[in-house]
Amino acid sequence: MVSTLWSNAVALAQQPPSPVQPIQPPSGPSELGSYLPIVILFVLAAAFAIFSVLLGPMVGPQRKNRAKTEAYECGIEPSPQPVIGGGRVPVAYYLTAMLFILFDIEMVFLYPFAVSADALGLFGLVEIFLFIATVGFAYAYVWRRGGLDWN
Amino acid sequence: MLATVLTAQPVPPADKLSAPAIDYGAIMPVLIVLGAACVGVLVEAFLPKHQRWPVQVVLSLATLAGAGIAMAVYLGDESTPKNGVITLAGTLAVDRPALFLWGTLLVLTLGALLLIADRSVEPGGAFVAEAAIRPGTIQDRAQVAGTGMQTEVFPLTLFALGGMMVFTSANDLLTMFIALEVLSLPLYLMCGLARRRRLLSQEAAVKYFLLGAFASAFFLYGLALLYGYAGSVKLADISNAAAGTDRSDALLFGGLGLLVVGLLFKASVGPFHTWTPDVYQGAPTPITAFMAACTKVAAFGGMLRVLQVGFESTSWEWRGVLWGVAIVSMVIGAVLGLTQTDVKRMIAYSSIAHAGFLLIGSIALTDQGLSGTLFYLLTYGFTTLAAFGVISLVRNADGEATHLSQWAGLAKRSPVTAAVFTFILLALAGIPLTSGFVGKFVIFSAALQDGMAPLVVIALIASAVAAFFYLRVIVLMYFSEPAADGPSVTVPGAFTTASITLGVIATLVLGVLPAFALDWAGSGTFAFQ
Amino acid sequence: MTRAELLADDPLWLILIKAVVLLLIGPLMTMFMVIFERKVVAWMQHRPGPNRVGPWGLLQSIADAIKLPFKEQIIPTTADRKVYFLAPIVSVIPSFLAFSVIPFGPQVSIFGEQTVLQLVDLPVGALVILACSSLGVYGIVLAGWASGSAYPLLGGLRSAAQVISYEIAMGLSIVGVILYSHSLSTGDIVDAQRDGWYFYLLIPSFVIYLISMVGETNRAPFDLPEAESELVGGFHTEYSSMKFAMFFLAEYTNMVIVSMFATTLFLGGYMAPWPISLIGDNYLNTGWWPVLWFMGKTMLLLFVFVWLRGTLPRMRYDQFMRLGWKVLVPVSLVWIVVIAGIRAFRNEPNISTSQILVFGGVALLVLIAVAMLIPDKRARAEDEYLVPVTGGGHPVPPLDLEVPKPPKRRSLSEAKVARKPAAVPAGQSTSDTPDKESE
Repeated sequence: MVSTLWSNAVALAQQPPSPVQPIQPPSGPSELGSYLPIVILFVLAAAFAIFSVLLGPMVGPQRKNRAKTEAYECGIEPSPQPVIGGGRVPVAYYLTAMLFILFDIEMVFLYPFAVSADALGLFGLVEIFLFIATVGFAYAYVWRRGGLDWN
Repeated sequence: MLATVLTAQPVPPADKLSAPAIDYGAIMPVLIVLGAACVGVLVEAFLPKHQRWPVQVVLSLATLAGAGIAMAVYLGDESTPKNGVITLAGTLAVDRPALFLWGTLLVLTLGALLLIADRSVEPGGAFVAEAAIRPGTIQDRAQVAGTGMQTEVFPLTLFALGGMMVFTSANDLLTMFIALEVLSLPLYLMCGLARRRRLLSQEAAVKYFLLGAFASAFFLYGLALLYGYAGSVKLADISNAAAGTDRSDALLFGGLGLLVVGLLFKASVGPFHTWTPDVYQGAPTPITAFMAACTKVAAFGGMLRVLQVGFESTSWEWRGVLWGVAIVSMVIGAVLGLTQTDVKRMIAYSSIAHAGFLLIGSIALTDQGLSGTLFYLLTYGFTTLAAFGVISLVRNADGEATHLSQWAGLAKRSPVTAAVFTFILLALAGIPLTSGFVGKFVIFSAALQDGMAPLVVIALIASAVAAFFYLRVIVLMYFSEPAADGPSVTVPGAFTTASITLGVIATLVLGVLPAFALDWAGSGTFAFQ
Repeated sequence: MTRAELLADDPLWLILIKAVVLLLIGPLMTMFMVIFERKVVAWMQHRPGPNRVGPWGLLQSIADAIKLPFKEQIIPTTADRKVYFLAPIVSVIPSFLAFSVIPFGPQVSIFGEQTVLQLVDLPVGALVILACSSLGVYGIVLAGWASGSAYPLLGGLRSAAQVISYEIAMGLSIVGVILYSHSLSTGDIVDAQRDGWYFYLLIPSFVIYLISMVGETNRAPFDLPEAESELVGGFHTEYSSMKFAMFFLAEYTNMVIVSMFATTLFLGGYMAPWPISLIGDNYLNTGWWPVLWFMGKTMLLLFVFVWLRGTLPRMRYDQFMRLGWKVLVPVSLVWIVVIAGIRAFRNEPNISTSQILVFGGVALLVLIAVAMLIPDKRARAEDEYLVPVTGGGHPVPPLDLEVPKPPKRRSLSEAKVARKPAAVPAGQSTSDTPDKESE
């Protein structure tokens, strides 16, 4: 049962660090144990999804013809596909992706600050303000130079 | 139990963190440079196009002056500790070598910035007006007529400079890595901004970026292994850990190896040099000058600190390998340099040979080795800056005429340019009365004192071989008939003239009266804490 | 015992029961939402809505769910078959996983075992939900890409751009909540709202979250990826049968997830609303009752989704992106700085309230001054090298091109040859016809 797994894990975590290994990683195995229910849910969800996807062809009819398996383009001849096999997509999407990375990283840095903001006090406030301002410069640049205009 | 780990306990007010002490006087030059870079970005954002160039030039020059003054004030202050301070929670070590390198970087960047800002040699400057326009399209043909430029180059240069300054004074490897990225990313970008031969320039940028990303990954992986070994990323802690324990050396030397590969790449030491010729050739010449002069200073500054502070105690284990690397670099630079037909590529191979000489100085772990390497960096920076300044002047209808055959008989067209370039080449070869001679002399004597006589012999042979291809260009310029449709030599404007003059005079002065600079280079050693 | 301790003591059978229940919530809520949405939108538009299957058409969703597997599954020949198969699975799994950290209720007893109505209470719970919503984007992009067809590709790209744009605003709006709760754990966030729910303490955060949650789930008025009039069905145009059902399921489950997350972050989670919390010494806030409040609040938000769809027209793509990047993101950032500043100054013992007010006033003035300095419109002179082109770099005629008047017709006898090109059948190369004529 899981409870024995827990107790093993906890016992393992409480063992004194062995003398050969002077640097003990801060997280023991017990912390990973709390993710076990998520793993179980993942397995169940994956099983459900794969079963559902496989169910379709098993119970559904199979009456294929050439017109049916053509790519759908409102009835006209499908245009040749540039993307599969090394085509290009408009560069604006890459720009969005790069902006996303920039701000996503900013966001991720703001979380740990927010958790311990009160402990950091004014020092933390000044630091985070500098951080946001630095990203703000880049943001102002992108905005003013038309990086945020879509059409 | 689990709960203590899982629940985030609110920290009581008693545990409030206090701000680390910051010696603002010591780090003021870096703050000025990085702050001005941010202002530069805002200038780009908010000023109309025609105002940007003058504002950026004034801002950048004022920044360099301000940073220089801040450094002079700090050095002139009586209370400044002689053996350096460690500040910003132990991340930056502002000691004498760091200050020397900062000064070097500031002056060399000034020279490079003058080349970047020049608009007389090439109408509109060496940089493209709209880098995002695809080469060869009709918009591209439309913009060739225009005289605008991407003035983002100025803040990017300042960011790179800030990164280099932090890189040379980083007291722990993590700071060093971030500084490495801050200095590298603007350089990758600037390499792709040439006005002429845009595809070549963009190719150079992509090559530099891809190989640079590999090198950064090596550096980071080495950092991780060293952290695993010592439990700290501080150089002093790694040194202490290496000196006094019986831990497995696999992590230490694995980490050191990967770390040094990353550094050697940045310094373009052979056999990690493969990017150098292509990038030097493709990048806009002012950026090539900036890279060749300043990146080398920063990379060797960082390497000196890593080797002397972090790994001195284990030097007998790794020194043999770096011996080999230095020999390979010198041989590659000297031999392959002989076969080049392009001036920019030739200077690139020359820089690889010089990197070998610099590595000799870096692995002589004595005070003479340190001061000699610092001095050599200073002299080499000025000389190579002037070299690229001159190269940008020799042009034909397609832009710069860099093929050697086009330089034939240059002395008959423009005696002054030929004379200046001859002097620079002699300095690169290390002929007496130039700074190159003094630099080689101090490095080789330091190496001899540290018991590296065989290496010095090989270095002397390599210098002799390298001297041959410098002399070949001189012979070509003076004793060949100029081609009928050969290039013309542009009369440079004030900025380029100033830059070349700065480089040439420094090369001369450091060759004739090197004592003051040698004193300054030897005025202190790395802070260890 | 704390939540985490209680959860850590869960035996395996209890974890399995919880996981299965969570797995059922998604499909059940989807089926409910379909009929709920159709009925509500119908009433808003003065029509009866589905009314054939079961009483008032209430069994319509069940009929739909049974129908879907029995439809023929069509895979286009141009599709990348492996990725095409994988995309619906990738899309649906994260949306289920996000349920794991949602706290449905406080401590209860299930078959004699004391536990909490939540699968796990991780110290990074809020991040798990954000991570799951980001992972769902992969399913959409891969589906659009693997279909090997133009409309799905455009729909997939649009959708990805949209989701990641609004994810920034969503993530930033959460920072305010974390500032107040000192924790990323969803259980702790609910507990921290005992003294006041965050939806009125942090109104800007709440509003930004509400807007971005609609953008994040690709729902009207932000349903551009599925804009029927432009892109057929969006990224799932080429999907049919159960694979289509998976996307459908993922989309509705995501709606439920963001609503539940909003309930947790801003609406006090499972805690009873104000007048009810007064009854019987807050008795209705214990045991199984809170599940009712939680689901009630979630339903309220889900109704908002339907309401928006029933009332608002679809936004244009550029308007939509502008709203995300130029309004929500800067407002979030400024708001974060403001509340972080207020908290930091309030906790500082040496600073009085009047000083805060003075500094705040000065800061506000500076902000206004800066805002005045920024000119409204970008100078058009910026684009001096801009030549109008289509995507391929080829020039196109200007939009206001005047069409020249056609020359007067010559009489037929004069121009016998000139009429010939019109007779060339379609598809035949016309490039050589002028040559023939000149002969």
